[in-house]
Formats: sequence, structure tokens, C-alpha cells
Amino acid sequence: MATVSYQQATRFYPGADAPAVDGLDIDIADGEFLVLVGPSGCGKSTSLRMLAGLEDVDEGTIRIGDRDVTGLAPGKRDVAMVFQSYALYPHMSVAENMGFALEMAKVPKDERIRRVREAARILDLESYLDRKPKALSGGQRQRVAMGRAIVREPQAFLMDEPLSNLDAKLRVSTRSQIAELQRRLGVTTVYVTHDQVEAMTMGDRVAVLKDGVLQQCDTPLGLYRRPANAFVAGFIGSPAMNIREFTVTDGHARIGELDVPLSRATHTQLAREDSDRVLLGFRPESVELVGPTEGYPVAVRLVEELGADTYLYGSVIGAAELNGPDIVARIAVDHTPSIGDTVHLRVRPGQEHAFSPVTGVRLE
Amino acid sequence: MSTSLAAAPAATSRRRAPEPPKRTAAERWKRRGPLLPALLITILLTQLPLLGTLYYSLRSQNLLRPETNGFAGLSNYATVLGDEYFRAAVVNTLVLTASTVVLSMALGIAFAVLLDKKFLGRGVVRTLLITPFLVMPAAAALLWKHAMFNPLFGMLNWLLSVFGVDKIDWVSQFPMPSIVLMLTWQWTPFMMLIVLAGLQSQSTEILEAARVDGAGAWATFRRITLPHLRRFIELAILLGSIFVVQTFDPIFLITQGGPGQATTNLPFLIYQTTFRAFEVGEAAAAGVIVVVGTIVIATFALRVISSLFQEET
Ligand SMILES: Nc1ncnc2c1ncn2[C@@H]1O[C@H](COP(=O)(O)OP(=O)(O)O)[C@@H](O)[C@H]1O
Ligand SMILES: [Mg+2]
Repeated sequence: MATVSYQQATRFYPGADAPAVDGLDIDIADGEFLVLVGPSGCGKSTSLRMLAGLEDVDEGTIRIGDRDVTGLAPGKRDVAMVFQSYALYPHMSVAENMGFALEMAKVPKDERIRRVREAARILDLESYLDRKPKALSGGQRQRVAMGRAIVREPQAFLMDEPLSNLDAKLRVSTRSQIAELQRRLGVTTVYVTHDQVEAMTMGDRVAVLKDGVLQQCDTPLGLYRRPANAFVAGFIGSPAMNIREFTVTDGHARIGELDVPLSRATHTQLAREDSDRVLLGFRPESVELVGPTEGYPVAVRLVEELGADTYLYGSVIGAAELNGPDIVARIAVDHTPSIGDTVHLRVRPGQEHAFSPVTGVRLE
Repeated sequence: MSTSLAAAPAATSRRRAPEPPKRTAAERWKRRGPLLPALLITILLTQLPLLGTLYYSLRSQNLLRPETNGFAGLSNYATVLGDEYFRAAVVNTLVLTASTVVLSMALGIAFAVLLDKKFLGRGVVRTLLITPFLVMPAAAALLWKHAMFNPLFGMLNWLLSVFGVDKIDWVSQFPMPSIVLMLTWQWTPFMMLIVLAGLQSQSTEILEAARVDGAGAWATFRRITLPHLRRFIELAILLGSIFVVQTFDPIFLITQGGPGQATTNLPFLIYQTTFRAFEVGEAAAAGVIVVVGTIVIATFALRVISSLFQEET
């Protein structure tokens, strides 16, 4: 077990005009579960493969513990990887698959058998040890891939979307099993996913990437409460945060009939950028229903009743700035309006987020 | 669940696939009719020659002595199997086939592994490596006879003279190795192509998993790649054997089966029996024996091919 750190790690694919990963800086603590998340093509897999040694590091360094592993072969880094396709060796039995790395490391045979047994017990694979991978279900194959990683007792686990080939229900249960297993083993883990729910539920910390650039690395709650920029704000949380651009006059953002005051800090930062506009956002769950004289009148266009929650989709009446996509609000189940109704909504004070319209950076 | 009530009556009459609709005889013939010409041609082209051969193999039939022609029972088979020339030809065929197939397979794997890597000019190299397979066998045989094996101006001797080796008369001193060398040159591309197809169908993630698991290049090849290639190699060996058993052109053009009987293989022996000794009956019997032998090999080949498609999901 060890710390892992990316220091200005950069990867250019030959022929591409922009780096796939650009100056990545992350320090991962010993035993930490770090999730790399972002939209497809943002460089998550590339970052992970750089750590595994499967992809060259063109600039910067990668360290595992106190070793600089930047130029080291994958087999010498003492990391175990779980692939999206599991990449099980098709002609080897489950036991041989799990024992292969130990065999390559010349671990004595009885030690090898003991460790494979132990991993199979943890993962509930004991009765499948003699089967070939093609005689296993998807979930069992996934567990074998996990087993292949844990028998090695490596410095770090690397996982690239290990749940994306499972059906939705199995994905949820396996998600918690992996997180629980990682806590129990205490092995530093870097986990790649494009699914922000997976990221938020599994990670000690979550690193959000976009176009190869790290946007923010924080605890799940930190990301949720204080997104560092408009991209993170829109990416984390489901349904996504409502973000719109407004004109600023006299230190207020004018929305429909009402002025929304902006904090002094926000105001000075906007002034520094010489901008008379601001991005304001609020989460669907930061909204509450209020009486007819308060808040904003909203024409309800769609109601989604999920049982536990109800989501409203609608447009604010009399606010031209809010035209375009509907705003989304979560309301209590017992106050569900019908489509076509007008309701009054208010954002709970202190739960709005302001971002610079130029750089997208969070304003306090 | 509530559905159990509704489902109860249905459960007594089990659901099964609907019967395919019955067709009348006329309707069936209307469907098959258009296929008949193709079927007839196929039968004519493939089965009649075989039946003809079977017929002749049971007759005493010498073109020089038509008065002895007549039904001979299995005596042709007895003669052929008792003939020491035939047995020598069987041994020659086995030696020729086995050495050619093994050598060209070893070279084929080596070249395929090379071609599986990316390097400058790979397309050109690949085309050049495939070329021997595209040259007509007769042309290739003449090329080797004159340009390569000739003791005075052949390239092999010229090449060896660089290392101070004296002139060798390849075809008379080493007749069998010469033929094997030429056939290996011709069949390596075939083996290489099949093995290359196998290599390129291998998942890169599995190779990467092996690298992360700490397997070196050799261990990866032996433990991961070779098992994956096994089916492809078996297939190539079986198909290659079937073809190499039938080798005729280079024997006819380079050695004439000699010196003595040193390179007489089964096809050349059958040719000699028919067109030198005019023993049509015996030649036919030998031909039937070869066909039976080849069918046995082909059955294994077909089994391998079909299992190839069931392999790995
Ligand atoms: N082998 C490659 N050669 C060239 N470009 C690549 C290669 N692999 C990935 N890329 C590019 O690098 C970027 C990041 O890819 P990747 O790390 O796979 O994204 P993801 O976050 O979806 O895992 C993408 O734009 C992709 O097109
Ligand atoms: Mg990916």
C-alpha cells in the first residue's frame, strides 16, 4: 500500500492536436479511494493507463510511494488493474486466472494456492475455481477480475469502468461491495467511471476531468456544495443544476420582476473581469414551494413522479432570461401540482451558486 | 404474484412453437427445381471421376495389353499395397509432408509475430512475404531448379561460397532436402497468413492485463498467445498437410522422382504407373488409397474448423 501522485503528468497521442491528459496534478493518500470522473473522451482511461504504465508519460512524473515509476514497465509497478472488458485469460480456469500474476512473480505454489483460495472466499467464487471464464455469468466474471487484482496484494488497484458491463441492478449492489472491500483491504484505489452517481457513492475523493484537464478534486460533498466551476456544477448532481446567465445592474442580478442581490465578493470579482453579466445556478433540490405573493411564478410543463420525489419541469413566467430549456425543481410529494398549473417557487437563501460568465470559475 | 391466477389455465396446455406449414409435393418440387442443374453439374464434375476411378481400380487395365483387360476384383489393391515402390512412396510422402509443414509452420509463426508489430514499410514486407504463395507452382519449381539449385550458377551455391563452402550439386546430393526447401518457401506464406489472422484476433486488453500481471514478452507468448493460436495452428497444419500431400509439379520438374526413387511421392508414383507403365488399374487403386487417406485427414481438419467457430465468446 502506498500513496500515488501525478505531478504535471501529460500525454500527447501521436497525431492529436491537443493533449489527451494535460498537466494532471493529484496526490492520493495511502488507502484512499479516488474516483476519476468526467464525460466520455475526457482522458480518464488515459490517466489511469499512464499510472499502470500502459501509456507513455510525455511530460511530468508519476510516483507510487516514494518510487518514481514514470518510465517503469507495467509489471514492475506493483499495481493491479481491472479492465472494463475484464480481460480474463480465456483458456485458463478461474484459479489459474487469479494465480497468474503470482506465478509470474515466482511465488511458491502452496502460498499461491492459499492466496487464491482466500480471494475466492472473499468474493464468493469458491465453487467456480475450476471453471473457464466463458462458463461464468457477467457478474461472476467481474468478480474474477476483482479476484485477480486482490490476490496480488498490490500497492494500488486501478479500475477502468469495471461495472459498465453489468445490468443496472447488479451494478448498484456490486458498487457497494467494491467500496466495502476496498475499505476492508485498505489498498489505495484509483477508479474510473463516467457515471457521477458511482463517483459520488464510492469515492473518498472525486476528481472531475474535462478535455484532459483536472477541474476539481474534492470529497463528494465538497464537490456538491462548492463546485469550483460551472462545468463541475452541471456535471455533479442529478438532475443537473439549473444554470443561466443574467445581466448585473447596481450589484443585483435582475431576474424577471425581482432583483437578486449578489455578494460583495462576487461583485468585486465581476468588476475585475469587467463583466456586466453573471452565471447563476441552483440545484433542483434547493427549491421550495411558497405562497402566491413570494418567489417566482412558474408554468408547469412536465411533472415526474418518482415515488419518493417529484420533479417539476417548467418556465418562469415573465423572465426572458430564463427562456430556453426548462428549469427543474424537486418538490415534496404531497404538493404535486398538475401540468399547466402555475406554482410559486423560491430558492432557499444561501443555496445559489454564482460563476464567472467568462471563465466559469466559482464566485463567492 | 397476482399473475399466477390468470396464468393457471394456460399452464395446463404447454406453449410450443407453431408447426411449420405442410407443403404439397408439387410445391416442394417447384422450390427445388431451379437448384437441380447446379446439383447435376456438381455430381457430374466431382462424383463421376471418382466413380470412374473406383471402376478402373477393380479392373485389370493395361493400355499396352488390351487383351488382358477384365474384372480383377481387389487384386490391384493387393498389388499396390504389396509393392515396395508404393511403400517407399508412402514414406517419402510422409517425410516430405511432415518436414515441409513443420518447417513452414515454424517460419510462418516467426514471420507472423514480426508482421504483427508496427514498423516502417510493413505493407511492402507483407506483400513480399506473401508472394511465394502466389507464384504458379510450376513456375516456382523451374525458378528453383535453375536459379537456386543449379550447381554452376545457382544462387544457393553463390550464397554459400561467401562462407567458403564448396560447390554442391543440390538436386543429386540432397534431393529430398532440396524439395523440402522449395516447398517450405512456397508454403510459409500460407501458414503465416493463418497465424497472423489468429494474432490479430487477439484482444489487446488481455495482452495488457498480462503486462500488468508482470508477464514478460516470452511468458506472454507462451502462456497467453500460443494457447490462443492453438486452433489456428492446428487448422493451418491440417489444411497445409492436405495440400502438400498432393505435391506434383516440383517433383516432376526438378527431380523426376529421383535420383532412383529418392523423391518419388504418391502423386508422382501414380503418374508414373499411369503414363509410363500404362497400368491404369493399379494407378486407380493407388489413387483410391490416397483419397481414403486424405479423407481421414480432412475429417479431422473439418472438425477443427467447426470447433474454431465455437471457441471463445
Ligand atoms: N490510442 C489512442 N490514440 C489516439 N488518441 C487516443 C487514443 N486513445 C484515446 N485517444 C483520445 O484521447 C482522448 C481521451 O481518451 P480516453 O482516455 O480513452 O477517454 P475516456 O475518458 O472516455 O476514458 C480522447 O479524445 C480519445 O479520442
Ligand atoms: Mg475510457
